[in-house]
Amino acid sequence: MIISYLLVLFKILLALLLAPGLVGYVRWLKARLQNRRGAPPWLPYYELSKLFGKEVVMSNNASWLFRVAPYIVFASAVAVTLLIPLIATDMPFDRVGDLLLVVYLLLLGTFFLALAGLDPGTAFGGMGASREMTVAAIAEPTIALAIFGLALGAGSTNLGRIVSATLAEPGVAISPGHLLAFVALFIVTLAETGRLPVDNPATHLELTMIHEAMVLEYSGRYLALIEWASWLKLLIFFALLANLFVPWGLAASHSPAALALGVIALVVKLAVLGAVVAIAETRVAKLRLFRVPELLSVSFVLALLAVTSSFLLK
Amino acid sequence: MNDALFAQLSTLGSSLALLFGITLLWRRSLSAYISAFRWQSAALSALLVAIGYLGDDPELYFVAIFFAALKVIALPYYLTRMEKQLGGERESQPYVNVATSLILSGLLVLLAYAVTRPLVIVSTLPTRGGLPLAVGLIFVGLFVVVTRKKALTQIVGFLVLENGIALLAALATFGIPLIVELGVFLDVLMGFLVMQVFVYHIHGTFESIDVDQLSELRY
Repeated sequence: MIISYLLVLFKILLALLLAPGLVGYVRWLKARLQNRRGAPPWLPYYELSKLFGKEVVMSNNASWLFRVAPYIVFASAVAVTLLIPLIATDMPFDRVGDLLLVVYLLLLGTFFLALAGLDPGTAFGGMGASREMTVAAIAEPTIALAIFGLALGAGSTNLGRIVSATLAEPGVAISPGHLLAFVALFIVTLAETGRLPVDNPATHLELTMIHEAMVLEYSGRYLALIEWASWLKLLIFFALLANLFVPWGLAASHSPAALALGVIALVVKLAVLGAVVAIAETRVAKLRLFRVPELLSVSFVLALLAVTSSFLLK
Repeated sequence: MNDALFAQLSTLGSSLALLFGITLLWRRSLSAYISAFRWQSAALSALLVAIGYLGDDPELYFVAIFFAALKVIALPYYLTRMEKQLGGERESQPYVNVATSLILSGLLVLLAYAVTRPLVIVSTLPTRGGLPLAVGLIFVGLFVVVTRKKALTQIVGFLVLENGIALLAALATFGIPLIVELGVFLDVLMGFLVMQVFVYHIHGTFESIDVDQLSELRY
């Protein structure tokens, strides 16, 4: 019992430690693909430690909401990490929450980030918040639908149960429901984590930015928490993509050897997905803001079809 | 085991074809339409080979070769050439906007599931999982034809519709006799050539391939 809770602690620490590295790796790979030398992949760790050491500067108009929001955003991201399959199946928190809780915890973080963007009353913050809500309004139901497509096949909305159902019957991994749901979730991942066709993660001042516009007023440890949370969100989405659709490599038992293998499998999967995202970001240009809802409705329709086909072809 | 693999592969191939049919609705430039059509045809010819192998029908290999030659190489080539000659017009203002047409195409596929349900229930074919997707592809192709304004995108819609019919035929019968297939291919080619002539005439008269202008008596 104690051991499995230690394992949960280890899982969270691992996610928190891997998240900045993952973002740094994607940035570095993207730079290499674009013929730039690029910052070293471990730069985000330095960024975090620098930001935690800086003092916080706040607008006079900012209310308590502005101060609370970073903690809520960070805590909701950490709470989601507890619930998703990361290195092993059958974790103690599997039974605490299912995919609906995951979706709404993610939305909770987005919601408070948008509120915090509105709070100081700057023009950029309000713009970023309204755009983020536009994206979230279509993206969140798509995540739920896409994972529902898998849940229908597995007969449970529990993420751990979905993983073990796919492990028990490997054939479903190439069923149309899984394929369509994967594409839908991949598009949503790009949108929700502020990657390229939707939002440019490499810019700090651009009229069409979304995530950066909301956090423009933050500094010091608040900014560090928000950035860390958004990197963690990238890791969460990658882990969902990797482990729900390709669950092989997840440790089935809690022995040290199996867990070590699980960690290695996770790192490999993250590296592969990171490479895919880096290549995709190098190849596509940013979409005009008004085309973003169109892209998201593509993913919504795909998720809808995924649910339909896994429902009707059972 | 073989049947299970067959079922998986055929539904996978059909959903890939449908996936390209739906990305078509999202894109605007004519070249994107053409490349989506090309990828869809490539997926379909791979599926034909798979059905030929698993369904033990060597005739389908020939069909697949003709299919690929016509729809992966020849027609996209002509379409690209037409697009270059007519100037890269974009499907910027379809009758139904992009977001709505995506949702509608999703509903059309649901409708396809609903209408093929009785057929799928009584069928014992290993490929039955792909039937609703093939019918859905036919609907989506028809939808492209009726909602897009440019003559070229309508042609691509027609070709997607034809792809859906070919997919349905391959899934439901494991290959119609070769001679019939060849007749169908010839028909498609002829239809395409006739439409090509029409498009050139429309372009020559109106200096645009926007069929919206055809409804006006004077221009």
